[in-house]
Amino acid sequence: MLKAEINELLTQTGPDAPMGELFRHYWLPALLAEELPEPDSPPVRVKILSERLIAFRDSEGRYGLIDEFCAHRGASLWFGNVRECGIRCAYHGWKFDVNGNCLDVPSEPENSNFKSKVRLTSYPLVKVGDILWTYMGDRESQPPLPEFEFCQVPSEQTYTSKRWQESNWLQALEGGIDSSHVSWLHSGGLKNDPLFKGAKGNQYNLNDLRPFFEVAEADGGLFVGARRNAEDGKYYWRITPWVMPAFTMVPPRGDHPVHGHFWVPIDDYNCWVYTFDYHPTRALTKDEVDHMKAGHGVHSRNIPGTYRPEENKDVDYLMDREAQRRGETFSGVRGIAQQDASLQESMGPIVDRTKERLVSSDTGIIKARQKLRKAVEALRDEGVTPPGVDPAHHRIRSAAIVLPQEESFIEACRDALTAKPGVAHVSV
Amino acid sequence: MKPILANSCAHAATAEEARFRITREIGSRAALILALDADAADVVDRVAERPWGAARFFHADGLSTQQLESELEDADVAIMVATADADGEAAAEIARACAERGIMTAGLILGDHLQVAAAVAALRPYARNLMVTTDEDDVAEVLRALRA
Repeated sequence: MLKAEINELLTQTGPDAPMGELFRHYWLPALLAEELPEPDSPPVRVKILSERLIAFRDSEGRYGLIDEFCAHRGASLWFGNVRECGIRCAYHGWKFDVNGNCLDVPSEPENSNFKSKVRLTSYPLVKVGDILWTYMGDRESQPPLPEFEFCQVPSEQTYTSKRWQESNWLQALEGGIDSSHVSWLHSGGLKNDPLFKGAKGNQYNLNDLRPFFEVAEADGGLFVGARRNAEDGKYYWRITPWVMPAFTMVPPRGDHPVHGHFWVPIDDYNCWVYTFDYHPTRALTKDEVDHMKAGHGVHSRNIPGTYRPEENKDVDYLMDREAQRRGETFSGVRGIAQQDASLQESMGPIVDRTKERLVSSDTGIIKARQKLRKAVEALRDEGVTPPGVDPAHHRIRSAAIVLPQEESFIEACRDALTAKPGVAHVSV
Repeated sequence: MKPILANSCAHAATAEEARFRITREIGSRAALILALDADAADVVDRVAERPWGAARFFHADGLSTQQLESELEDADVAIMVATADADGEAAAEIARACAERGIMTAGLILGDHLQVAAAVAALRPYARNLMVTTDEDDVAEVLRALRA
């Protein structure tokens, strides 16, 4: 459990909140590159850390992320026209460039310099991999671009989707750290999902529903190891990395692509979940990508034209009691992504952590909260740059491996847990 | 699709409603905290000075088998705290006694990975949940999170 004030500290991410300030030290996914596919694409509304912004791509292909609302009367620029290297407000025609500079105020005399005094807030928007990333902090502290492996490999080796989750970011992230729910909530997926099935490691998972857990600190966050018994007195380890504040990876299965998530606060009651799959050494097959697009693996099946999952709150997640009875799904909800989201949304928009009864298998969550709290306090009180900002912290991997009992996963897997271009991931 | 009534669907999970959830009182967890070596004993002694609910603190080397079994009678969880010099035999004895009674075991190992590797290997078979940390505060943090 957490004290109410610590729960508030970790879950509030608006502009004045200490956790919001922490998030503003990182490059964050703002939208998928597919949302602005070409120059002069229609603008996209983006809400991050409770701040409403508009993303657009000008006639020369430059990306911009600026205040959503026109400096004139506060109308949304989402209605605006993107053309001739700017976005023009649909209300009175004021025009802005990708840096938020006002280019034209049509009601003013042609030789007026009034426009030079008008500027909207703007943030950098940069394409790395399939994602457009933004940095919303102090420009002087802007770190180098992110170097997570999923957005560094060639484009044919990676796929990213996103989905809207109607809960605070922290309870979504905690699901990514909490390995103990997998054998229950996602038990159906190990047998049936085309992006999981067939791996030898699945049998270890299904044969041992009471894994042991080991939590170890990493420079950028944590490694959480779940171990189960393997043959010949060895242990089967699944190792989940967390990079602060909001990046997690799932341990791989066989030669399937490896996947993970980035959990980005929209506001305090909603978050975007960016979900990726990549393979370090080969292109994803058409079948694999088709399965990802269809919502298999850890991706969601979204309502066409939106990033809202079909299994959402308004339709009770398309609960299927028959599938639950048959044992195809444990919760009656289809798909791993929405199995997680449905449970996490059911906890309420911001779960009251003063009422929890944690157990010792929740050690990973306990440690993650402590690291977040300490990082927020160190930044707020002493200006200390938080872990996970340095791109060196991004070059990690998850792993699934069988080890002799006496070996420490953190030592034995030092190489396996480090991203190396062109080297396959360690997987069973 | 069946019609979904507002009061029976997940959409009722508002922030306002969530304030009234889980209204039964939540009691303390009976936790036994056992130091497995001298340095760990110093840490445990410092943590024990803070106010706790149902947590009880011991040095493993000062606890007879009989005392251990007596203390475990009403325990919910046994948390072993160790540093590089952890006593693996003591951990084994505690773990055996816990296993017989269905009591969950956890281990907190304080120190750098390389320095405490032997202690981690000694505790691994006996603690269902292990945390290796350089931060002494984690002992209190875990106890608070568990409502000890």
